[in-house]
Formats: sequence, structure tokens, C-alpha cells
Amino acid sequence: MNLSARTEEKVMFDHIASMLRTYEKKRENLMAILQEIQGKYGYVAPPALQMVAKHLGLSSCEVYGVATFYNQFRFNPPGKHQIRVCLGTACHVRGGDIILENFERKLEIKAGETTPDREFSIDRVACVGCCALAPVAIVDDTVYGHMAPSKVEGVILGFEIEKERKEREKQDSESQE
Amino acid sequence: MNLKSKETLIDVFASIKTEAEKRFGKIKGDSNQNIFIGMATCGLASGAIEVKRAFEEALAEQKINARVISVGCLGHCYAEPLVIIDKPGFPPILYHNVTPGKANLLVKAFLRGDDPVFEHVLGAMEENELIPTVMEFPRFNQEKRVVMGKCGLIDPEDIYQYIAQGGYSALAKALTLDPEQIIFEVLESGLRGRGGAGFLTGKKWQFVEDAEEKGKFVICNADEGDPGAYMDRAILESNPHQVIEGIAICAYAVGAKRAIVYVRAEYPLAVKIVQKAIEQARELGLLGKGILETQFDLDVTVFQGSGAFVCGEETALIRSIQGQRGMPQPRPPYPAQTGLWGKPTVINNVKTLASIPPIIEKGGKWLKGIGTKKSPGTAIFSVVGNIVHAGLVEIPMGVTLRSLVFDICGGVPNQKRFKAVQIGGPSGGCLPEQFLDTPIDFDSLTEAGAMMGSGGMVVMDENACMIDVARYFLDFTQHESCGKCTFCRIGTKHLLDTLERITKGKGRDGDIELLEDLSIDIKEGSLCGLGKTAPNPVLTTIEYFRDEYEAHIQEKRCPAMMCRELTAYYIDLDKCARGCDACVGSCPTESIFTTRDRKKAIDQTLCVKCGECMTACPSEYDAVRKVSPPELAPKIARPEEG
Amino acid sequence: MVTLIVDNKEIETQEGSTLLQACLDNGIYIPNLCYLNGIEDPPGSCRLCFVEIEGYDQPRTSCRVKVQQGMVVRTNTEHVRRLQKTAFELLLSTHHVECRNCPANKKCELQRIAKFLHFGLKLKRLEPLERDIEVEHEHPFLEYIPTRCVLCGKCVFVCRKRNGQPMLSFAKRGFDTVISFFGENDKPVDVCNECYACAEICPVGALLVKDSPNTSNPWKRGSFNDKGKCQTPLK
Repeated sequence: MNLSARTEEKVMFDHIASMLRTYEKKRENLMAILQEIQGKYGYVAPPALQMVAKHLGLSSCEVYGVATFYNQFRFNPPGKHQIRVCLGTACHVRGGDIILENFERKLEIKAGETTPDREFSIDRVACVGCCALAPVAIVDDTVYGHMAPSKVEGVILGFEIEKERKEREKQDSESQE
Repeated sequence: MNLKSKETLIDVFASIKTEAEKRFGKIKGDSNQNIFIGMATCGLASGAIEVKRAFEEALAEQKINARVISVGCLGHCYAEPLVIIDKPGFPPILYHNVTPGKANLLVKAFLRGDDPVFEHVLGAMEENELIPTVMEFPRFNQEKRVVMGKCGLIDPEDIYQYIAQGGYSALAKALTLDPEQIIFEVLESGLRGRGGAGFLTGKKWQFVEDAEEKGKFVICNADEGDPGAYMDRAILESNPHQVIEGIAICAYAVGAKRAIVYVRAEYPLAVKIVQKAIEQARELGLLGKGILETQFDLDVTVFQGSGAFVCGEETALIRSIQGQRGMPQPRPPYPAQTGLWGKPTVINNVKTLASIPPIIEKGGKWLKGIGTKKSPGTAIFSVVGNIVHAGLVEIPMGVTLRSLVFDICGGVPNQKRFKAVQIGGPSGGCLPEQFLDTPIDFDSLTEAGAMMGSGGMVVMDENACMIDVARYFLDFTQHESCGKCTFCRIGTKHLLDTLERITKGKGRDGDIELLEDLSIDIKEGSLCGLGKTAPNPVLTTIEYFRDEYEAHIQEKRCPAMMCRELTAYYIDLDKCARGCDACVGSCPTESIFTTRDRKKAIDQTLCVKCGECMTACPSEYDAVRKVSPPELAPKIARPEEG
Repeated sequence: MVTLIVDNKEIETQEGSTLLQACLDNGIYIPNLCYLNGIEDPPGSCRLCFVEIEGYDQPRTSCRVKVQQGMVVRTNTEHVRRLQKTAFELLLSTHHVECRNCPANKKCELQRIAKFLHFGLKLKRLEPLERDIEVEHEHPFLEYIPTRCVLCGKCVFVCRKRNGQPMLSFAKRGFDTVISFFGENDKPVDVCNECYACAEICPVGALLVKDSPNTSNPWKRGSFNDKGKCQTPLK
């Protein structure tokens, strides 16, 4: 882990500590707390689980047991861009698994994993409720309806071009300074 | 309630309603032009945001005064983004598949000029002499909207629009009645729970009303997890107040002071809209302390479910609210006796609660007049899969499957043959053609081996493999099994493994019998509804499509050519055009190569059978073939390099 | 007192008792794994203790039924045996059978049930299921063997009972469910008071005490009755 990631983590834990103070020490707040952490940081780091347990007066393994029961919680940092491929019934009938496979092949990771550069992560989701647009993939907050294997490359390429453009801009502005 | 407070209540509500009409009048007034854009999740996914922006820009550019209003979902997902333009002198007109380009054109031609651009019109929303109404389409006129009546026509984020259209008057009326009278009306209506099991709603309420313990709860179950059903989401995103009104009536009837809306966290828009709606209702005194200045208090909160299908089961749902692992508890005791935090609790589905306001307003007898004798009212289905007019359909109970699939939803596209319809999601079953004349109601569907479930309906054409469908659902239930009881935790895994083996061509004699025997024991032995219904997709597909199982097991052949291990693509060299490269670029694995005589062939060792080459091949050549078993594909060697 | 008829035999039992407990107290054995005497709200998860009760179409799990005066019960019908055998077979398909090397040998509840149901410990129609489980959090003095565990949950229950908070719990979901300690770098975060109640209560030898030679075999430490039930009093 490099230095900046370490500082980032420290900042995260400080934030979580102050966030916890806003919650009453009641077990019924457990889910809401875990959801807030997941929503803000994209994952619930194991030390965060301990902090939550301590705050609510529960044992850590109990909090761990609850958190691992639900699909929503991740325990590793997600990629910068989260790709979620819908595998609901309608998407399955229309070839959602082929779309998932294409993302997996293109990024060389499996569902549930993050690319080594932490740019992308892929997840399977049960149904996002856009069945009429099947097959569907959601990248960050954008829903891509009527996906096709050939569109997969385009989606990823789009992000890569965007990243390059940003880097170039950064370099340009740095060279101007 | 004494006469005086009854009068105050009526006065208080009347003044709210007047205010709503005044405000809504401003929006829907004669002198104003209004553009309503469907902005629920499916609309957004189809590009409604871009369309809205295009309208706003075009209006600004043309200096035209018109209001752009975001509304919910009409249920016609196949035609999204949908836009209704209401211009004085014209009936409100519904436009389909609107793009930013069309938006621009509509502003110029219709709002500025007076040309409604007929080629993009789906229909008028009201009777008129100019344009045929949407009611001339079966997709509209065979529907009966009780729950979704206002969906897609009002702004879900503006409580006054709902009130101006008659909303919350059922609550005002209910508060003048005794709880017993309300429960009587609900019992009289014969309304059965829309969550799937079909228990009498009035009875459930009565149990909780009868309980003497204080601190009762009402929970609205919007943990819609069925992978293919999204009506609860659509209702919450399009008309949250009808649900909240139903919750308030229920709470008053059973004597609860706290209510919880349990929404899946995967539905962020629904969560946001419901929270806003609760806030607005509280501001107007329709929720909170002393509702409409009566003695009735109700506090409604939203709880977000964290992604566990099993939490749709009521005892698991309760545990997850309590911050525990969402594992079902054996019943009895039922939540009506011992529910959330041990208190008597009503748990009703979104659609059930949304059916309550119309029942209170029009009486229980009125609902009984719709649908069938044993299943009164309407059913909402999300009809998806291989179907022309996919979307949400609300029909009276008793309509046959045939008229739902073929008349209302336009049948199967691309001249393909209808094969089966899967009803009720992972708990339901697959019904083949001979069941098309089955009426849709709780009992007929159960008898046929499917079930109403939450209303997911997937239409499958001839290219769907029934074993793959069963495998898909088992994969789902197996992933979603909570792991508590032996039958569901381990039994579904054996079912899935066996099905997987069959789809991979490794089926054995005796597999069908093993599936059947295990299925029956899992159904009988499991602890909760998830396990008890999980084998249904297996049992119905074996019953109605046994020959397909046999083809897979004995001939290692997939008749629908869907199982990838049992199929192969090849290029018909007689049809392939020399020098054409269309398929090469489409292949994600570079498995297509050029033969010696400059035609194309597929390297079977690299092919992942995605079918892109078949789509890419120009229709005048139509050279890509799909076969099962894979041995039928001719073997063509790649020419050696150099 | 309540009288009921089980397998044509009249038995007497305390009011409020579960049917399963009433039968066990009267020397009528019904296979069970997840039930403990005195457990409030039995989980009813192992699905072994089925019986047929007059007036009900389907067999019911006797741990979840309270006795009623005049109840007529059968514990050995064909239907009951079929469900019990399937449930047992399913459990067996995830249980790594290696009795000879297992400290629970001869005291194992699974052996007892197999004998009772006349059901061999070898799988016939089902294939063994390999559970791909990594033990994520090691414990300093307890060893957990997931391939033996039948997830009855007794260890979690006794630990909670003794310590107020469980120091081990169910984690993950569905087929992947395991008993887990939570810790970092092999150090459990929750402080265990080394009462070993969890290892003592485990019916299949899936929780063992490691390191100390005196305690390596918890089956020596606990005092067990012939039913394989822990006699150490619960707090």
C-alpha cells in the first residue's frame, strides 16, 4: 500500500468514527450504519466492522455475520468504475450471461473482482427492474439497455479515452505552469 | 369518533384539497402548455434525461412558454421514453420513443406551429375528433387500472398533484369510520395479498386488530426480489402517495402507530421518492402526530433492504430490520401475533396497500365486481422476454394467458413460435402452449403448477431451452438461499449441479428421477416459502418438456440450440461471400479465419458461441449456421501461416 | 401435566414442553441435530425431527410443536422416514466422512442417526459436494473444520448463553454459510474466555481445541451422556 492510500484509509476511518457518533447505540441501527459506510466508500473495511460493533456493543463476529449475509456489502475497495451486469430473468433470456462474459474477458477479471489498476470492477446483479430493455448493464450510474457483446468494447473504450484525455489535460496544464 | 372532530377533519381535508386544486390548476390550466416526460427508472435508462434537456433547450431557444413536468411510469416500457404533450386546443397526445431530435421537432412543429407530427403519435389520451385515442389499442383498452391508475400521469414528487386527482380522500373518509368498518370493507372486497401467497388481506388485518398488545407495526413489503418483476418499483416511483395512503388506512384500522416501508437498496430512485413523499405528507398533516387534526398518530419510515431475496419472506424481513441475518423463522407464530420486535405486525405488499384507497372510496363490493369470484380485483404483470409490447400490464383477474400474451402484449416478435411462459419467478413454473387458455387468478395458476408469485412473467420463444430456464432459476434460488435449513441449503445445490451437468451434455440415466424425487422432498421438507417453492421450475419443466430433458441426456443435443456446450456455429461455405469480412470484426475472440479460397470459417476451439457473427453476416448471404449436437458442424482446419 | 399418544404409547409430559423434548424424555428417540433442551425458539433448521400428527396432512418438525392434551403422534411412518433420510443424505453429502481420524468417532451424532435410520454413511444417489471454503479468520486455540460442520448452530447458541455475546457466529449465506471467528492477523477481536462450551457441544467434531495437549480432544473434557448431549450446565 502506498502512502496516499494509507492516508486515504485513515481519513475514512476518522470519518466513520464521527459518523458513528450520530447514531444511537441501538442494534436496529446496524443495517443503516453499514449501508451508510458502503454507500460512501463503496466497501466496508474490516476495521470499520469492528468500530461499528464497538459502537453498538455487539461482538465483531456478529456484525461480520450480519454484513456477510447481504449482497450489498463488499469488503474490498471497488474499482473506480463499477460495472454491474443484470442477470435477471429477462436479461438471461436475452443473453445477459454472454454480456457478462464479454466484460470479464475484456477486463481479464471475474465477476466480484477488481482490475489490478483499480479502474474497473464487475458485479452480477439480480434485477435492476429495466427488463424491457434487456440485456442491461449498469456502469456507475448509467444504465445501458439493449446491450450486445460488440457494445462492451465501446463502453470500456469510452472510459479509457476519457481517462487518457484527462491525463493529457493534466499534463498540459502542468506543462503550462 | 365524535361528531365535532369528524367535522373538523372534513374541513381540514377540504382546505388541503382546495389548495391542491388551485396549484394543480396552475399546471394543468387552459392557458398553459405542458410536457409530461416519463422519468422512472426505465424511462431514464432509455434516455429520458437527454429528452428532457432537449425539450428545455428547444423551449428556451424558441422562447416558448411551456412547463416540463417529470412523471412516473405508464408501464409501456417498449415505447420509452414516453412524452405526453398537453396543448390548449388539442387533446393530450402521447408520443413514443422520443429522442432529443424528436423533442426538437415537436417543439418547433407542434408547440410553435400547430402540427401534432402525426407520424410520431402513439395516440391521444382523451376522446377527440382529431387523433385516434390510445384506447383503440388492446394494450390500453383491455387493461383495468386500479392500482396503477395515476401512474405516469402525475408528478410523484408533488403531493398536490395526487390530492388534486382525488388522492388522500380515502384516508379522510377512513378516519370518519370505525376500524371495524374499514376491516369489514376490506374483507368484503375479498382482496387477497398481492405478494404471491394470496392470503385474505382483511383477515390479516383482523388478526392484528384483535391483538391486544400495544406498539403494533405496519410494514409495506417492497423488497421486490423476483428477477423479472418490477411493478413495485414502478408504483413507488410513479405514485408513492397511493401506497402511503394505503399504509395510513391500514395503520388506523389495526391500531398501529408506526409503519415501515421496506424497499430494496437496489432501487435508489424509489427510496428517494418515497422518502420525499413521506416528508410532504407529514408537512400537510396527513402523517405524523394528529393526522388531519384527529387523535390518530402515524410515523412512517423507510428501511432499505440490503440485497437478500429471502428477505421478501416476512419473518426474514423482520429479522433484517432488527439488524440480524435475514433468516426465516418457522411459522407459527405468525407476524400478526409476534412480529417486529415481538409486536403484532401487518406485512402487506405494495400492490395490496395501493389497492386499499380505491376500496375505501368505492366500497368493498366495487372491487368484488372486478376479476373473478375467488380472486377479485386486478393483477399486475411485468411481461418481459420475447414479447413485442414488453412492460407493466394491469388486468382484471380471470383474463386468459392467451389474451395477455397475444392480444394485449402483441405476441412473440420476429415470426418466432411461442414456446412457454414462466410465471411467478423463481417460485413459479413454466407453462407451455396448451395452458394458454388458463385464466389468470391465484387458484388456476397454482393448479397448473405455476403461481401468481409477485407477477413476473417471462415469455419465451422457440429458442429458449427449458432445462436452461430451470437451471437459471435454480441458480438464482441457490444463490439466494439463506442457508438455514438442510433441504434448501444443500438440496437446491444438488438440483443445480444435476441440471448443470445435463446442460453440459453430461446427463446420466436416472437424472430425471433424481431431480423429481429430490424436488418433492425439498418442497415438503424446507422451512420457508423460498425452499418450498424452489423446485417448481424443475418440476414443471420436467412435466411439460420431458422430451427436451431426454434429448439432452440421451442424445447430448439441445433442441432449442441454447445450451452452449451442446451447440456449435459454423459458416456455410456455399453461402459465404468471397472477400466479405463482416463477421470477422464482430467476433470477440478472433476465432474467425480466412480459408484458402478467401471464405470464412470458425475455429471451434476458440469460439465462445456468442452468436455475434450470425447477427453480423449480411442477410443476403445468411451463411452462419447453428447446430446441435456440435459434432454436426463440419471441421475446417485453419490454413497454415505463410 | 399433559398426556399424549406417541406411536400407540401413552406418555406424560410437562405442559409447554416441545413435542421433541417430550418424546426424548420418555425414551422415544427422534433424530435431531439443531435442538437443545431449554433453547428458546428452536431454530428448526436441521429438518430431521419430523413426526406425523393426527389432524395435519404433512409431517411437522417436532421441535417446533408444543404438546397438547390428547395429541396423537407417529414418529416412524414411511413419509417421516423418507424426509429424514433425504435430509440426512443431504447433510452427509457435505460432510467429509473420515470417522477413523475424527475425535468424534463413536460419539458422533451423525453415526447415531445413520444407525437409527439404517442408512449407510456412504452416498448412493448423490455426489459428494465439495465446499470451497477458506477459513478466513484463524482462532488461537479453536480449530474449525468446515467440511465436518453440519451448521446446527449449537456452538453459537451456547457461546451467546455463556458470554452474553457470541464470540463466534454464522457468516456468509446459503451453501457458503460457515461458523466464523472474526479477527485480524489470527488474533480474534472478540475476547474468548476459553470455556470451550462450543467445542463440547459440537455434535460432529467440527470444533476442536488446539495447541494444549490436555485440551486437544474436547471429547475427553466434556461430560457427555449417552445421547451425545453436553451435560455441562448452561448459565
